[in-house]
Amino acid sequence: MLRQEINELLTKTGPGTEMGDLFRQYWIPTLLSEELPENDCPQVRVKILSERLIAFRDSQGRYGLVDEFCAHRGVSLWFGRNEDNGLRCAYHGWKYDVTGQCVEVPSEASNSRFCANVKLKSYPLVKVGDVLWTFMGDPAKAPPLPEYEFAHVPASQTFTSKRLQESNWLQALEGGIDSSHVSFLHSSGLQSDPLFMGAEGNKYNLGDYKPYFEVVDAPGGLFIGARRNAEEDSYYWRITPWLMPSFTMVPPRGDHPMHGHFWVPIDDENCWVYTFDYQPVRDLTQAERQAMKDGYGVHSENIPGTYLPVRNKSNDYLMDRAAQKRGETFSGVAGIAIQDASLQESMGPIVDRTKERLATTDAGIIKARAKLRKAALALRDEGKTPEGVDPAHHRVRSASVVLPRNESFIESVSDKLKVQPGVRQASV
Amino acid sequence: MSGWTAQGKAAQAASAAELRYRMSYPLAPSRGVRVVALDSGAESVVRKVAASSTWNKVRFYAAETILNSHGIHSAPVEVVLHGLDGAAESLNDELEDVDSTIMVATSDFGSEAAATIGAACSVRGIMTAGLVHGEDTEHTVSALRPYAQVLLVPADDGDLEAILTAMRA
Repeated sequence: MLRQEINELLTKTGPGTEMGDLFRQYWIPTLLSEELPENDCPQVRVKILSERLIAFRDSQGRYGLVDEFCAHRGVSLWFGRNEDNGLRCAYHGWKYDVTGQCVEVPSEASNSRFCANVKLKSYPLVKVGDVLWTFMGDPAKAPPLPEYEFAHVPASQTFTSKRLQESNWLQALEGGIDSSHVSFLHSSGLQSDPLFMGAEGNKYNLGDYKPYFEVVDAPGGLFIGARRNAEEDSYYWRITPWLMPSFTMVPPRGDHPMHGHFWVPIDDENCWVYTFDYQPVRDLTQAERQAMKDGYGVHSENIPGTYLPVRNKSNDYLMDRAAQKRGETFSGVAGIAIQDASLQESMGPIVDRTKERLATTDAGIIKARAKLRKAALALRDEGKTPEGVDPAHHRVRSASVVLPRNESFIESVSDKLKVQPGVRQASV
Repeated sequence: MSGWTAQGKAAQAASAAELRYRMSYPLAPSRGVRVVALDSGAESVVRKVAASSTWNKVRFYAAETILNSHGIHSAPVEVVLHGLDGAAESLNDELEDVDSTIMVATSDFGSEAAATIGAACSVRGIMTAGLVHGEDTEHTVSALRPYAQVLLVPADDGDLEAILTAMRA
């Protein structure tokens, strides 16, 4: 359980909240770059950390992320026109550049300086990899741009998708650092999903339902090692990195791509899940890329033209009890991503953690919550920069390895948990 | 729309409005948790946490290892648990009706005690966790690894309290 005041501290991310201030220390995913595909393309409404914004790409290819509403009468600029290096309000023609600066008020005298004093709140919006990132904190304290490996390998080696999750960000994140559910909820996917099946490690995963855990504190977050029996003299280790505040990587399987997630709060009851797959040393095959687009692996099948999953809360995730009975799925819900989402959304928009009862095997979740809380309070009380802001912390990898029984992952494979350009991932 | 369960709609509780109808009643505390300090450094961690709250079903101890009659460091050894008031208790007695045992260590000094406690918990189906405090953790982790189903490395001062709270202990 968690005391109610701590649950609120960890789950609320709007302006002026402790966790909101913590998120505002990081570059966070805001859009996929495909959402603003060309200069002067349609602007996109963005809600992030409970702030309503509008993103656009101007005539010179510059990205802007500004307050959604015109300073004049509060009209949404989503109805405006993206033209000639600015976003023009459809109501009276006030125009703003990518910094939010008003550059034209047509009703004013042509030599008026009125607009110089009108500026919308704005944040930087920067493309790194397939993702547009923003920094919503004090501009003077903006850290260097993110260095997560998936965003830095060549485009031919990486793929990122996005989906809406109708729950608070924290219960979604906690699913990402809870390795023991894989043997149950995703058991069928290990045998049938084209992006998971066939790996040697799957049999160990499915053969041992009682993993041992080692939760290792690391710069930027945690490494959570789950140990299962492999052969008589060896253990199968799956090692999940979590970086503050909401980045996780899933341990890879065989030669399948590496993957992971960012959970980004939209508001306190919804989040965007950014899901990436990449190969450190080779191109993704056409079949791999197509499988990701089709919603296999950790991606979701979305309603065309949207980032809303086809299987969602409004249709009971297309629950298929017959498929469950036939053993095709464990829960009756198809797709690994939506299997997670369905259960996490079923907890309610913000799960009441005063009513939960954790066990020692939930130590990774307990430790992650403690680190987030500690960091949020240290930021509030001492102005201390949290872990995970430093791009050096971003250069981590997940790993799956088989080790002799007397060896520990953190001592034996620490080099494999770091990004090594040109070196294949450690994967069984 | 194969399998779409319209009949289940009435029981959906995933909205904030429906969440109000989730039943509210007190949950039982944990059956019992034992926290054992394996060395003197760990004992100060354990004492601090013991004093930090009113715990439901947690008992706190420092372990004393009594070597076998030849004085040789090899399991099995006898472990006596000392409550924080100094009273000696039998390990076997103290593991009655227990869900989890948490061992706290700052060195590998208590490796024999960890082996004995781990074995006693294993035969009783009691979950074991190890909290390794300090900076140079390699030897301590090696000592605890075979006997703890969960290890926190390195643990900080708040971890024990956070785990006990999360477990409703």
